[in-house]
Amino acid sequence: MDLIIGGAYQGKREYAKTRFGVEDGEIYTCTEDTGVAFGARCLDRLEEFALWCVRNGQDPVAIFREHRQEWQDSVLICQDIFCGVVPLGADMRAWREATGRLCAYLSARAETVTRMFCGIPQRLV
Amino acid sequence: MNVLISGGCKNGKSGFAQQTAMELAAGGPRYYVATMIPSDREDRERIARHIRNREGLGFETLEVGRRIEDCLTLAAPDATFLVDSVTALLLNELFCDPAGEQADPEAVKRCREGMKKLMAGAKNVVFVSDYIYSDAFRYDAYTELYRASLAALDRFLAQTCDTVAELCAGRVILHKGGLPV
Repeated sequence: MDLIIGGAYQGKREYAKTRFGVEDGEIYTCTEDTGVAFGARCLDRLEEFALWCVRNGQDPVAIFREHRQEWQDSVLICQDIFCGVVPLGADMRAWREATGRLCAYLSARAETVTRMFCGIPQRLV
Repeated sequence: MNVLISGGCKNGKSGFAQQTAMELAAGGPRYYVATMIPSDREDRERIARHIRNREGLGFETLEVGRRIEDCLTLAAPDATFLVDSVTALLLNELFCDPAGEQADPEAVKRCREGMKKLMAGAKNVVFVSDYIYSDAFRYDAYTELYRASLAALDRFLAQTCDTVAELCAGRVILHKGGLPV
């Protein structure tokens, strides 16, 4: 599994395509209403999946652990939402926390972790 | 040589940009391009602080809030420009209407073309932008449009510039190219 992180609009999805040859049809885009569907070659917007978890009383790490076989060869994309002030709303705080824990879990299991900055990949070691 | 400098606020971007522009100009004509159009006392105080910081560095200040390519007609040939900042330039171009209700859909294109012309006509350009993409907040549609537009310009500049540097705590993370010695 390869993990791509970075702020909004930094070219994460574009990099998944150029670096790993992912096609548009192979990308599943998570939303706060639908959560995640495992099995796609590339899962994008994992932060939205984490928000779905918060809203539905689920633990994102537990769900990923359970489905490990289904994503361990995938390209996973998560937005870095960790640099702002502590959010005022309790659910937004829980969202940030859940996304952070998921990122930490995934990055510890990734073959490569890449951070995108203004469209430029930075390999994290 | 063209340089993009970005990063979070209060990390030393402006100071580093001045230093870089000084090195690149190598004694030649250098211009500080102030893009912010001041709207209140806080803005004017910030401008005064920036002017004090630049004292003795030999920059001439150009106030260009829109149409960034106009810098070329105001400057000597073979000039070095420090554009501070892309963020304010975009804001002025995007919300031309003073009421601020209507975002101009052509703003990104206009900024991009203007910056292209500026880079083509200048000896060096140092651009300062702001990294505003990593917080956990649901923005309104206007703010989201602004963020997406700024990111489009950042990515254009990152691709076009020789050097891309991120500033963090006054230190440099070099993403592309090298720094002038």
